[in-house]
Amino acid sequence: MTPFFFGESKNQLYGVLHPMQGTAKKPASVLLCNAFGQEYMRSHRALRQLAVMLSKQGYDVLRFDYRGTGDSALELDEVDAQDWKDDITIAIDELKDISAVQSVHVIGLRLGGLLAAAACAEREDIESLNFWDAIGSGDQYINELRDELSDKYAVNDNGVLNSNYQEDSGVIHFNGFALNNQNQKKLNEMNIANIDLSAINKIRHIISHKSDESQALIQAMNACENFESYFIEAPHDWNYIDKYGGILLPQPIIQGIVNSLK
Amino acid sequence: MKERVIRVGRPAPLIGVVCEPEKINSNRPAVLIFNSGVMHHIGSCRLSVSLARSFADKGVLSVRFDFSGIGDSSSRRGVESFSETAPLEAAEVMDYLQKKRGIKQFILYGLCSGADAAYETALVDKRVVAYSQIDAYCYKTPKFYYHFYRPKFFELKRWINFCWRMVKKILPEKIMSDKSADEEANQYLEAVSYIREFPPQSEVSSGLKSLVERGLFFNIIFTKGENSYSYPQQYRDSFSDIDFGQNLDLHYFNTAAHIMTHPSHQALVVKTITQWLVDVINKIEKIHK
Repeated sequence: MTPFFFGESKNQLYGVLHPMQGTAKKPASVLLCNAFGQEYMRSHRALRQLAVMLSKQGYDVLRFDYRGTGDSALELDEVDAQDWKDDITIAIDELKDISAVQSVHVIGLRLGGLLAAAACAEREDIESLNFWDAIGSGDQYINELRDELSDKYAVNDNGVLNSNYQEDSGVIHFNGFALNNQNQKKLNEMNIANIDLSAINKIRHIISHKSDESQALIQAMNACENFESYFIEAPHDWNYIDKYGGILLPQPIIQGIVNSLK
Repeated sequence: MKERVIRVGRPAPLIGVVCEPEKINSNRPAVLIFNSGVMHHIGSCRLSVSLARSFADKGVLSVRFDFSGIGDSSSRRGVESFSETAPLEAAEVMDYLQKKRGIKQFILYGLCSGADAAYETALVDKRVVAYSQIDAYCYKTPKFYYHFYRPKFFELKRWINFCWRMVKKILPEKIMSDKSADEEANQYLEAVSYIREFPPQSEVSSGLKSLVERGLFFNIIFTKGENSYSYPQQYRDSFSDIDFGQNLDLHYFNTAAHIMTHPSHQALVVKTITQWLVDVINKIEKIHK
């Protein structure tokens, strides 16, 4: 496993390469695209485990942090979804370069799925695009967050100040992370149903629990010949946060994704 | 400010990020930023990154890194507990900085299990000259109960909840049993692997006395989230037999969550710790002159 910084020096991105293990190298490598906010924190170990398992199958795997998140440059109030989409493009090029392959599989978790779709639509080197509990559209995601917001000055039963609220300026604070107005605007412009993904060989949609949103995405994508949907039951709430910052490790899903890339 | 990846130790290296100020002064202490529970080295709500960048702005180098088996660092073989391995692994990072950068003194920062690791490391490593902890070991005093229960006493909702709990105890389990959706949803939740057990108060008191005798500086912040701290001076009262003198900088953020989810608390933590760090480094530099 090799952690490193890549990209422009002012906007450097933190990445971790899991080089293929064994002797039979796969012809394409794998890029993992993170979720956002507390979902990113909670899924870090799951994505690391997924990367390790895929590397044992012969894939070079890269996971990385978008600008303003994780160890990458900048702060959240300085970036938006367009930057994150561009970061995926930079990461794909970096991965192709270091692993000397012509094409990549891209796996996007939650918001990472939506961003990956936007980035991959503009390329011809995507072997497969894999949505993991993907967010279908930016406005759906923002509405999902808005449903959980409450009064800025509310305190819970233990006397702890509420951290899920919207500022008068429009900035949304959710579980310790902020979405600025520009970011919300850029996210609102993204909708998988409106993105032309026909150049991609295979699109997989892996769902851990059925919801109206996941069904809507299936309906929108069903017309595509290259689209397949899998349901692997592993119910959990991505937006939940416990007192200590516990993490999620949905093994059935991780194994399911690994199996689908065999 | 520059950030670089470091890999420390073999065969399973500890992975971290060095955050360097524009100008490095090897006579100045560096800061080691520890994991909080199972969260990787960026820290709860990216707090470790914010702290590191704020320290660099003030000319202080820091390393945020993952202990073995957490975040980007692989597990190492062995049967030792986290309390035993954390000081050893912290020492590896200090050795690295001492060898590569000539830095000889260190300041530690940790939240929750990271706070415990800071205390344990300071006890055994004399290169540690100060530490900052969020929700450190602390014990309940008689005043704790007064401050904790007094505001609750007059809340109707509390009494309703209390009565409901009593009813639940009386009614047969079958009627009350409701395998909640939460329970089902949490089957994929990996709980914090570090079981936080406070050592006996006398043991911590004795440890702190030895640190005070060494002249360590302490910045201790408590939150509301842990429910075991209820008034600003509880830490001093909890260790009333220790004379911290001017070396203890104590804060109680009485509406903050344990993992600092509110943006105003995040900003306050960064400001408070950075200011304390600058003051402590000034004091240390004066002592050396």
